[in-house]
Amino acid sequence: MSCFSAHAAVDFAHDVVPILEKHCTECHGGEEAEGGFSLNTRDLFLDDETAVPGRADESYFIDLILDTDPDYQMPPEKKKRVPDEQLAVLKQWVNEGMKWEPGFTFGEPAYEPRFAPRRPELPAVTDGRTNPVDRIMDHYLATEKLERPDPVDDATFFRRVSLDLIGLLPSAEETRKFLADTAPDKRTKVIDEFLSRDLSYTDHWLTFWNDLLRNDYGGTGFITGGRTQISTWLYDSLKTNKPFDAMVRELIAPPNKESAGFINGIKWRGTVSAGQTLPIQFSQSISQSFLGINMKCASCHDSFIDRWTLADAYGLAAIYAEEDLEIHRCDKPINETARAAWLFPEIGQVDAKADKEERLKQLANLMTHPENGRVPRTLVNRLWGQLMGRGIVHPLDAMQTEPWNVDLLDWLASDFQENGYDLKHTLRTIATSAAYQSATSNEFDETGSDAYRYSGPLPKRLTAEQFVDATWQITQAAPTSYHAPIVRGIVPPELVDRLSFPSSWVWGPSVDQGLPPHGEKILLRREFIPSKPVRAAGVIAAADNAFVLHLNHQQILSGERWSDLEAAPVTQKISKGTNLILMVAENRGPKPNAAGAFCAVRLEYEDGTDEIIVTDDKWTVSETVPNGNRTGQWKLKEMKWEPARVLPNTTWKKQTDARIGQTLAEASVGSDHMVRAALLKADDLMRSLGRPNRDQIVTSRPNELTTLEAVDLSTSETLIRNLKKGAETLMSQPDLAPAQLIEELYLTTLTRFPTEEESSVLKEALGTKPTVEDVTDILWALTMTPEFLITR
Amino acid sequence: MKFEIDPEAPDSIVRRDFLKKLGAASTAAWMSGAPQIVRGKDLEHPEAKADACILLWMGGGMAAPETFDPKRYAPFEKGMAVDSVLSTFPSIDTSVDNIKICAGLENIAKVMDRGTLIRSAMQPDLGSILHSRHQYHWHTGYVPPQTVAAPHLGSWMARVLGPNNDVMPAFINVGQRLEGVGEKEELKAFTTAGFFGSEYGPMNLPFPEQAAQSVRPPEGMTQDRFANRNKLFRKLVDQNPHRDYASSHQQESLMRSMDNAYRLLQSKEREAFDIEQEPKEVREIYDTGRFGRGCLLARRLVENGARFVEVTTEYVPFLHWDTHANGHDTVDRLHKEIDRPISQLILDLEERGLLDRTLVIIASEFSRDAIMEGKPGSTANDQATHKVDQITEAKHYGLHRHFTAGTSVALFGGGVKKGYLYGKTADERPLVAVENPVTVTDLHATIMTAMGVSPKTEFTIEGRPFYVTEDGKGKPVMDIFA
Repeated sequence: MSCFSAHAAVDFAHDVVPILEKHCTECHGGEEAEGGFSLNTRDLFLDDETAVPGRADESYFIDLILDTDPDYQMPPEKKKRVPDEQLAVLKQWVNEGMKWEPGFTFGEPAYEPRFAPRRPELPAVTDGRTNPVDRIMDHYLATEKLERPDPVDDATFFRRVSLDLIGLLPSAEETRKFLADTAPDKRTKVIDEFLSRDLSYTDHWLTFWNDLLRNDYGGTGFITGGRTQISTWLYDSLKTNKPFDAMVRELIAPPNKESAGFINGIKWRGTVSAGQTLPIQFSQSISQSFLGINMKCASCHDSFIDRWTLADAYGLAAIYAEEDLEIHRCDKPINETARAAWLFPEIGQVDAKADKEERLKQLANLMTHPENGRVPRTLVNRLWGQLMGRGIVHPLDAMQTEPWNVDLLDWLASDFQENGYDLKHTLRTIATSAAYQSATSNEFDETGSDAYRYSGPLPKRLTAEQFVDATWQITQAAPTSYHAPIVRGIVPPELVDRLSFPSSWVWGPSVDQGLPPHGEKILLRREFIPSKPVRAAGVIAAADNAFVLHLNHQQILSGERWSDLEAAPVTQKISKGTNLILMVAENRGPKPNAAGAFCAVRLEYEDGTDEIIVTDDKWTVSETVPNGNRTGQWKLKEMKWEPARVLPNTTWKKQTDARIGQTLAEASVGSDHMVRAALLKADDLMRSLGRPNRDQIVTSRPNELTTLEAVDLSTSETLIRNLKKGAETLMSQPDLAPAQLIEELYLTTLTRFPTEEESSVLKEALGTKPTVEDVTDILWALTMTPEFLITR
Repeated sequence: MKFEIDPEAPDSIVRRDFLKKLGAASTAAWMSGAPQIVRGKDLEHPEAKADACILLWMGGGMAAPETFDPKRYAPFEKGMAVDSVLSTFPSIDTSVDNIKICAGLENIAKVMDRGTLIRSAMQPDLGSILHSRHQYHWHTGYVPPQTVAAPHLGSWMARVLGPNNDVMPAFINVGQRLEGVGEKEELKAFTTAGFFGSEYGPMNLPFPEQAAQSVRPPEGMTQDRFANRNKLFRKLVDQNPHRDYASSHQQESLMRSMDNAYRLLQSKEREAFDIEQEPKEVREIYDTGRFGRGCLLARRLVENGARFVEVTTEYVPFLHWDTHANGHDTVDRLHKEIDRPISQLILDLEERGLLDRTLVIIASEFSRDAIMEGKPGSTANDQATHKVDQITEAKHYGLHRHFTAGTSVALFGGGVKKGYLYGKTADERPLVAVENPVTVTDLHATIMTAMGVSPKTEFTIEGRPFYVTEDGKGKPVMDIFA
């Protein structure tokens, strides 16, 4: 402790700092801010009159030091009191105006990441591992004296890369083919092949981008018009692999309303705190998503955790604000107007005097400026995190944190920039590396980011969307329509016009006597032979109240709401000869009521002409419906058939006719791609599996399974129903011996062959005469195993 | 089935269990952005007065002058001035001398001597008065929107305290549909564990009479098949050649969740979800509707170790307590729906010796008034659907505006004083709290204090502290505790 003379002015650095460090900053300095109070900077110290320069007697912190009440005194009860002579120093310092070293902070000397791009020299190639990622990683492993993780086998790689790039499980057939392939470059070929599947790639990565840009198809603010989607724009951008810099520009300075939803945020009804106005949301969103900066702290007060200040947060906000923006500290105005500015003036600044549109354009240019290394670093770090299970900088939204390998981060970022911000290019670079194709690490990093050492990619739990998609793949129970306002195929408007026609609804003979009885089930039947070679085909259907539709003994559609047109592409399912449609329709309700069914099949012939087959009196109807849904075993010839009755009712037409053209066009031009969970609104299952609400930006998903999810998965009747469908499909293959069935089950769910021990467990479970229930329960058990839920 | 650690068991088992728990905490630390508890060690928690909490939620804005805070009674008369209406029900005596409540709540009146009535709860003015925003505030302690997803009160208890019985979910939410009702997205925004993650989220049981289904094997699956399926699962896990690929923690957490689920589904506690098992005469007392059946379910769940159960009359815009018109008749019906089940719940808990350790709360997002929207000086829009000065029809007779400056909260059991009245509202309009106002933040502090959780309990999320009461500033109303 320095000598203190009552006459000399107090020296901040030598007299005051040691006292504060000894008694205060353990709890109120650095990253600590107990009771919301931090004295990292002078401004923070002055908050709420904790200290009043020139008036020690009015300074709250002096009162607290003097207080003897154990509930209030500072330092707290169990800590040492501040000795009188030190208290005198503090009082004198306050009375002398609280001189503070400019720029001094009690905050840790934070790592300050480089802003400009940097392309590190690639280290020499070792062991023929030429991928730039491996050159950097091999050098890193050697320098850090870490072991190189083992390479991963083909089956594990295949499952992992499929889930990572397109979000789907490989089918048993694809797996067999890949495993049998002897080409040395088969892994690279399959990576390229997956990346070229535009729709599957887009469907999968939509989840990542929806999270990052908090976009959804429903939710808070959508109902009240306080929020708009960017779904159509986003889907198109991914489908065409739009360069990331162009995406950023279109999001920040939207050329039209399609991409405007991101910066416009959520307009909440009623009053909101100063920290959640639209300009502040803008400031927070662009900072988090593109710069990896948490501006949430700084939009209320100078941040305790990084270098950003209230002025920085409001500077960004003012770029977006329509009017003068008054700065608020902790929700109270401080009589200062924010000046539009962005955070890294070293490459240029936004002209605060320009109009809003111009300011946004300037900001968009700065964000995508060739000298801006932060934006590409933030993004490649996210991509690395998606594929490898953990960022090079961790957490992903805290880019001020020191990376565990700065060369790797800088190289990937500059390579991304130099290759035109091509997302697929960077994904390919990572996926083709030996680093990615290594066995997963089972070392758990328990110590936080400082001590992290790379030991291989980390296992990742399936996301909610991946899990749901996977069960749909196994069970073929995916829905036929979706909520995202996107077009997966390309539907020309003239085609919609051409395919629009008034619906016609039919029912059985019971209508001759008035209203059909409730609970009545009828079977509608139509056979047809395509007159020419078919290029594409689609089917739509609806019924009051419910229906199941089979084409050539395969269930194609089902529905329970007469107002919903269900639709499915059936190009692959149409045969050259006779095709058979069977539609089971059911009338529900407490008493006799109106009932009707509608179906239309569109055949597009290779010569460009169309044929449409629609429910009319050419259909026949049976009043008895055989049990079960294995229509191939139904004895149709022995049943009594008569012409279907065409109904005059118009209520149904009003609801459906306007949508026939669009729906039928989408069904028949859209490919046979399964509808994916990412295209649907979140349901209870997806929510409990960790799909976020998207009121906030949430950039990482949970890695664990929770008890309530497990209860859901154990009791869900929908899941069992779907798995049963999957079991039926598997068992419908003729002459499948138990051994083959077991192999099929493993390939379908776990993308590998079973071991002998596993086969014998399943053989026992199947017994000599396997039932659908047996196979259903095996499917359930396999999909609940850690190996299914956590990607190796 | 409560698992106690056998004192004879070898030390290693205890330690392994402890390590598992530790593992869970460190995963949370490892996951990016996952919340970490701070000051776990040196923060002193108050001694718990209650082990369980039942929140009886009067969603939609329960008018205090029509329930727990009767004012001058103005019977219906054609042509009466709207501003002459303070209460549309006369007051009745209760088992406590200085407490009168509204006619229609005769059964609750008899049990008032088991609890404390707060008449001075206050809500902030949030501009336009919106139920879902005020409900969000009440349930999380934070005014929406927030920059992180704020956890529900029940999730705080689940996170900090866990269940009373390992088999039972800690947080169970009864009676509120989250699909097919208005403002459902807003309801979902606070019916969540938020940043704590879904482990601490609610088990939602919108229909109490169907609750048993959610802990039963799927329809059509026999117990035998269910047990065999689980055995098969176990065998496949044991035979799996890749058991060691994920961190032991990740695998363990997954297996633990599957185990927990299986245990619950096989346990005797699952019977708690089946209200049909109650004797007919008990069911009849409770069966005034979904809310009444929910009260019965709540009792069974708490008896079996649930930590926090919310039962709601259900919030649906313009229905139930959301009386924008026809207020008197609607509240008359609601009295019938809540009166018997609530009093029976209190008596049942008492009879079972559980009331002392169970905090039962009756609350709502705000009160109502016949003419005043918000509070004196509020600029909020008047949202009454019929704006009349004179009451000419029965549908005009009632409290049709939202009022935020004086709301009643009743508390029973859980260490609160018996037969105690706290706070007071004015006898003439505006009916504002004139004594001992209690903010949402302080009410939260009071509830958490009863549960043995310091109002300053904090977690770090995204580098910032997040407290169980807003900014850690909640002060419990100690005066209401015995």
